[in-house]
Amino acid sequence: MIERAPISADPSAKLNINVNGREAVLDVPPSKRLLHVLREDLGLTGTKRSCEMGRCGACMVLVDGKAVNSCLAMAYQCEGKSVTTIEGLSEGGLTPVQQCFLEEGGYQCGYCTPGMVVSVTAMLANDPSPSDADIEEALSGNLCRCTGYGGIWRAVKKAIELKKEQTG
Amino acid sequence: MLLNRDTSGRRWRIRPDGPGKVTGELEYLTDLSLPNMLIGRVLRSPHPHAYIRSVDVSKALALPGVHAALTAKDVPGLNRFGIARPDYPVFCEDRVRFIGDAVAAVAAESDELAELALAAIEVDYEPLPVVDDPERAILGDSPLLYEEGNVFHRNGYKFGDIEAGFAAAAHIVEETYSTPRQMHTYMETEGGLFVPGEDGRLTAYSPTQHGFMDRMQLSRILAKPEEDIRVVSSPIGGSFGGKDELNVQPYGALLALATGRPVKLHNSRWESVRAGLKRHPMKITMKTGVDAYGRLVAHRAYVIADKGPYSTLGAEVLNFATEHVVGPYRFKAVDVDTVSAFTNNGMSGEFRGFGGNQAIFALEGQLDRLAALLGMDPWELRRRNLRRAEDPGPLGQPISVTGGAGQVWASLEGSALWRRRSEPPASAPSAPWLKRGIGAAYVMHAAGLGVGIPDPAGGRLQLRGDGKIEAFFGYEEFGQGLIASLMQMLIEMFGFAERDIVITIGDTDVVPDSGSTTASRATSMMWQSLRRLRGPFAGKLLEAASRALALPAETLAIGEDGIRGAKDGRLLLSYAALAGAAGQPIAAQTHFSYPTSPVDRVGAHYMYSYSAVAVEVEVNTLTGRVHVVDQYHAVAAGPVVNPQGYLGQIEGGSSMALGFALTEDAVMSGGHYLTKNLDTYLVPTIVEQNGAVTVDAIEELPEGDEHGPRGLGELGSVGLAPAIAEAVYQATGKRASKLPIDPALLQEPIRFN
Amino acid sequence: MAHSHEALLRSPYVWHPICAREAWHLKQEIDAGAVFVAGGTLLRTQWEAGLVTFPAHLIDLSGIADMTGIGRSDEDGRGWRIGALATLAECRSHPGLAADFPLVKEAARVIAAPAVRNLATIGGNVLSRTGDMATALLALDAELLWLNDAGTHSEPLSAWLDREREGISGAPGLLLAILPSAFLGVSMISKTRRFCAFHKAGRREAFIPPVVNVALNVAFDEGGAVADIRIAAGGGTMIPARLAAAEALTLGRVPDAALLAALHAAVNEEYAPKPDPFVGEAYRRMTAANLVAAALWKAGSDARASGEEGEPCC
Repeated sequence: MIERAPISADPSAKLNINVNGREAVLDVPPSKRLLHVLREDLGLTGTKRSCEMGRCGACMVLVDGKAVNSCLAMAYQCEGKSVTTIEGLSEGGLTPVQQCFLEEGGYQCGYCTPGMVVSVTAMLANDPSPSDADIEEALSGNLCRCTGYGGIWRAVKKAIELKKEQTG
Repeated sequence: MLLNRDTSGRRWRIRPDGPGKVTGELEYLTDLSLPNMLIGRVLRSPHPHAYIRSVDVSKALALPGVHAALTAKDVPGLNRFGIARPDYPVFCEDRVRFIGDAVAAVAAESDELAELALAAIEVDYEPLPVVDDPERAILGDSPLLYEEGNVFHRNGYKFGDIEAGFAAAAHIVEETYSTPRQMHTYMETEGGLFVPGEDGRLTAYSPTQHGFMDRMQLSRILAKPEEDIRVVSSPIGGSFGGKDELNVQPYGALLALATGRPVKLHNSRWESVRAGLKRHPMKITMKTGVDAYGRLVAHRAYVIADKGPYSTLGAEVLNFATEHVVGPYRFKAVDVDTVSAFTNNGMSGEFRGFGGNQAIFALEGQLDRLAALLGMDPWELRRRNLRRAEDPGPLGQPISVTGGAGQVWASLEGSALWRRRSEPPASAPSAPWLKRGIGAAYVMHAAGLGVGIPDPAGGRLQLRGDGKIEAFFGYEEFGQGLIASLMQMLIEMFGFAERDIVITIGDTDVVPDSGSTTASRATSMMWQSLRRLRGPFAGKLLEAASRALALPAETLAIGEDGIRGAKDGRLLLSYAALAGAAGQPIAAQTHFSYPTSPVDRVGAHYMYSYSAVAVEVEVNTLTGRVHVVDQYHAVAAGPVVNPQGYLGQIEGGSSMALGFALTEDAVMSGGHYLTKNLDTYLVPTIVEQNGAVTVDAIEELPEGDEHGPRGLGELGSVGLAPAIAEAVYQATGKRASKLPIDPALLQEPIRFN
Repeated sequence: MAHSHEALLRSPYVWHPICAREAWHLKQEIDAGAVFVAGGTLLRTQWEAGLVTFPAHLIDLSGIADMTGIGRSDEDGRGWRIGALATLAECRSHPGLAADFPLVKEAARVIAAPAVRNLATIGGNVLSRTGDMATALLALDAELLWLNDAGTHSEPLSAWLDREREGISGAPGLLLAILPSAFLGVSMISKTRRFCAFHKAGRREAFIPPVVNVALNVAFDEGGAVADIRIAAGGGTMIPARLAAAEALTLGRVPDAALLAALHAAVNEEYAPKPDPFVGEAYRRMTAANLVAAALWKAGSDARASGEEGEPCC
């Protein structure tokens, strides 16, 4: 016989989550999507709602440093984890990635931009000098309808250059 | 001038709305919420075509937390909307005509409750035969959407002896072209917050392309004076024509007034696909003849458009296509016949390019096919038929004179990409199944609404008490960079510093009606407005400064931070001090209309922009997939107002053309969408867009030109698709007449030698 | 879409077992109302699209340690065991696994997009039956390790997919791990060179489910003839399969023009795609035949070019 280990499904369980460096204890259903937790419960509307099936990247956030579509992640999957949203990235002023998007015109309507910035940030954290193929792969889940990606390419290239200058 | 950051120098500026966008701080209207707000949802028809026998909302209303459930009988005013012809029901009364049709709407304390309320509404439908093919729809035996018949709109025109032209032709090409039901796919779906005020007024925070048009329509629906409605409509997460008509606004407004509480609606992507506008699918049959020299002697075109169930701007789109099927070419004889048919398919409407995309894809395909028959370079064939600067427009109407047609022709002819055609490839393809080809296309595209349609423009400048120069315009920022362009013009035309300027748009309570932000018109109209305001407003500022400083006005100049010495540029009086000294507001306002051609043909256009697009593609014959490797765009649209915005419009527009050519189609079957979200409706990713894009911006206009910058917003979305089709032909020898290009057409069994 | 008030407003119970047996028993106890969830990415799209109703109970597998990770499967350190909960991102980037089984990495590279792969697991992709991973794993003779009432047992992935294709649907237990095995160690044997390739065609270049995918895993003898081979193909709604007749055709033969033409014809014949409203059957067949023939052509060329001291794989 197997032993019964603690299997928990306590409906009153709270979500313990660190968002942008701050601990939060939230009373949300465990299957609530992170996207809605962020937008509705925490008022962090920089994370955008668009396709709600993980196909557009507008809702991208970092979970323990990795890019995740917040429309796919459920609250319980974030238990005990650290979430960084676009607001968190921006807390210390513009990051180099954001500065490059700004200068190169890597956005138009701006609705995809927070997600795009998050994905670029995750990519560069993982590999500071990605190839073009790496960039394509890293951003293939972030749709932009306005720019045709021209300004985004320029912004990313610039950010890589900056990073090289800083470390080189 | 090849347009990029380097060649733009100091004119390449950071957009004023940029910091809020890259940090996520900018609040879109769908990000707004209020403590006491309810969530609104709309019940839409499950049937593409049906009678409604009854609607019963009582069970929904009985649910705790559900505060309103509205149907047609709850609309106090006109139960219809539509910019051109209000025939789109807010709520259907007795019949639904497509799967986006609204039957009821609810407001509840949560989204889950609202969904539950929708499920509790009982609607008894009697399904009707579905009309899903526009060609069959206009035949005598088709079921009808309307008693008057399924023909929504017809247009056409002709000149010359078409039969004599065909008889004299050395070569004739006859082909039918089909274009897809393209979706705008703005990243922000429709939505907004609707707030009833204690004063009885209603504020609609909801994206649109013309706030005053929304206000007028809401007034008509709510039976409430326009002054009692405020529409706040920017910023917007993309529109491309798709948020031009009302979408969630009637429901939000009605629910807010019914409950007395703020109501938020924000369409899911599924609902957006289901109810939102799409580009009119068109089938275009053309028969075109050339003589042995290559002169176009006869051109017949028949266009049939799939309207869907209600008007939107479908008649105007068809008129635009009618005007654009002849392009920048001189024909001896033309016979154009166009029709738009009601169907129970998805709702077609206005979309960037406005019928030009479809017409020009077909027309350019004809030119390329004729060139092949003649054994002539396709660009040379175009040269031999190209309009001269003074030629009338496509409908024979006078148009503003520019050398644009010839300029873009020459630019493309001299481009490195186009010259590569005649050179041996720099390197062998990486695999034997990859084939490359280069193609080009020509675009002559109109801007403005055209003859017979009110097309007002204007704006206001004001020195505020705090010394800020405030510019008021009734235009909308949906990403195109309108605020940045206005800022740049105020700096460059007046001499203000960016820190001196405040821009106010998108709020009907405070802005003048500048007309709609559509038809590639807003930047032109802002430039025109500022040109008109420059003299009066600068004059008033200098006059007031002259009084305050007791110096002659001619010794003073407008400058950064304030009034400066005309000679030495020294700051003499800050704008704040000037405002204080003036004692009364200093302001100037202008109101005028978009220029039109002096003819009485409704919809005929006066202002045109030109572009020529060359593209290199690589076709993988194993899979038939096409990859765009390199693009060159020559654009003649007058002076570059805002380099970053200009480049962005061409790059972004061409990306939509790329999708139109290769991946995008909202597929329907029996009146239902098979592509319900972005997993099957496929807009280009960064991987499709890894090739170079070069833009040559040709700014020269004839001496004495008064119209300045031409429309640019739609131009880029047109030419790439026909250029891709020709490049694919050059690569594979196969002609694609249907978009998106079917890979099966280009696929070949692998061969080994 | 008939929801009861209660069902709609009730959040599902989420159970968090910490070992596989508990998870399995929980599923048996709650039965139809419970769904195993790992990354949840595919389930979410099915729930949102209304294809599947939202369940009353979710059984979260993420706390089960022995279903995670990628590691050596045996003590002599040769084989690999990929935990069913290994994310596709881990499969994409694991250096040791990639050295022995680059097909796993290649398949992972083209599934969805990186952020989805940070949540999605290899187990979920395989169990979806129509993802890219099953095709790649078929070409690796992968075994599935199941847990059910009878305990744990393994079976070839191909055996399970065969049952699925025959409509005997349903997983025979909780999938614990995946063990690829084909040609293990072969790549290092001198004078025999192994090559593999994974190709995918979709309706877009990236972030797209496969219309057709093919996986090739081949070893050539010193004369350049095919010594051993696996060819698998899938795409669309078909359940991926090995192409046994096509494989048999190539054994002992050098991939020359005649063989490649015969292989093309054989794949075209044997591959059994299903059409959908977007892509027809004929296109899928020719794509599969082209991709397989091109892959073997390329492998043959590379084998010749690499010489005896050449790179062993991919």
